[in-house]
Amino acid sequence: MKILRGTPVTALVLLVLVGAVSFLAAREFLAMRVPDVVVPAPGYETHLLSEWEPSLKGTPADTPVYIQAGSEPGGTVLVMGGTHPNEPSSSLTAVLFLERARVNRGRLVVIPFANIMGFSHNDPQEASPQRLHFTLADGSVRTFKYGSRATNPIHAWPAPDVYIHPQSGQELSGKEKSNLNRAHPGTPDGDLTSRLAYGLRQLIVKEKIDLAFDLHEASPEYPVVNAMVAHERSMELAAMVVMELEGAGIPMRLEPSPKNLRGLTHREWGDFTETMPILLETANPSQGRLRGRTDEDLVLTGRDKCYTKAAALGRLFVPYDGSQSIELRVARHTATVKTFLDMLGLFDEAKEVDVEGIPTYEELLGQGYGAFLTPLPLKDASPGSQG
Amino acid sequence: MTPIYRGIVALVLFLMLRCMFREKDFWKQVTGALVLIPLVLRLLLLK
Repeated sequence: MKILRGTPVTALVLLVLVGAVSFLAAREFLAMRVPDVVVPAPGYETHLLSEWEPSLKGTPADTPVYIQAGSEPGGTVLVMGGTHPNEPSSSLTAVLFLERARVNRGRLVVIPFANIMGFSHNDPQEASPQRLHFTLADGSVRTFKYGSRATNPIHAWPAPDVYIHPQSGQELSGKEKSNLNRAHPGTPDGDLTSRLAYGLRQLIVKEKIDLAFDLHEASPEYPVVNAMVAHERSMELAAMVVMELEGAGIPMRLEPSPKNLRGLTHREWGDFTETMPILLETANPSQGRLRGRTDEDLVLTGRDKCYTKAAALGRLFVPYDGSQSIELRVARHTATVKTFLDMLGLFDEAKEVDVEGIPTYEELLGQGYGAFLTPLPLKDASPGSQG
Repeated sequence: MTPIYRGIVALVLFLMLRCMFREKDFWKQVTGALVLIPLVLRLLLLK
């Protein structure tokens, strides 16, 4: 390369360019810190998790909690998405319950963005898109962020070499310190991720949650996909639901919660509270190691020729016919949660929770996810403030 | 912990700036400019 002479003037010009690029990058990064806007259905009360764990007040971990009570008494069910913000069908399913549910009996608690600190950044080296766009029935477009599996390092650094789960002494890679689903049941004096997990436990205990869902996604080559993981206490109800789903043409694996894998909701919520915890997994090719080009289209459609090849070689744990759309993944979560709600009353009549307004599996596949979102009332509505 | 981190970043950023202004090869100045961008973003706790 030709050697050009560097002078203080060229350095100054480059410095101006550094300022411009830094400004543009900063704008992009700061935009990720603006929470997604949701429009709770009538009847929901909006809370913050700090109402159950005051040490979270004013911190970036203080995530919104929405509660709708029916006119008749019954059980209480928690639908939690966004434990891992790079698993979009989890938070999108929770948003669906938030925007569509009409509770007749019992109470429904919805947390759409559980680790809200993971929604304020994403993983550029994974080529993650920043946002997902959905066209609504009225033609308007709503967006949701595609975040990171981990708490934003701005709030969680430094990561240790080894993360030791406080209750069990289990040793994991240091980065797992920022993983909400390795932090349960949490501690009141730990770092923010651990305190967030503790806050969720306090919510479950104080609100007497009978049935608690933690929604997830995983790579199609991971064995636990199109599956639910159940604690011993949840197993009988889960088995009833799996049979019902199979009958409806929605195949579902049922996995027992391993006793020696600590820090996860399906283990710790069951051991440290009275709730029946259920963790659900769908197959998301945009998370997989086998994927090719990574962009919003891959997240929304799940179409990937590398996965088509892998399916032909029998390397996947889900049926894959060339796609694994966000509609299918949300529909699986939605149908499973709804079936649990339908069966809960049969399991224990006093705990019945009757919820209407949730689209069926077929409706979601036929009309798409955007068709069931509520249009935003104002262009510049502040996030999470409606309802 | 964070103030110490930011102090270290500020020091490295200052040293990099000094190198850039003393450097006689334009392309090495460009390399320095590329290094400055993440340092600025980290100093401001943006990324």
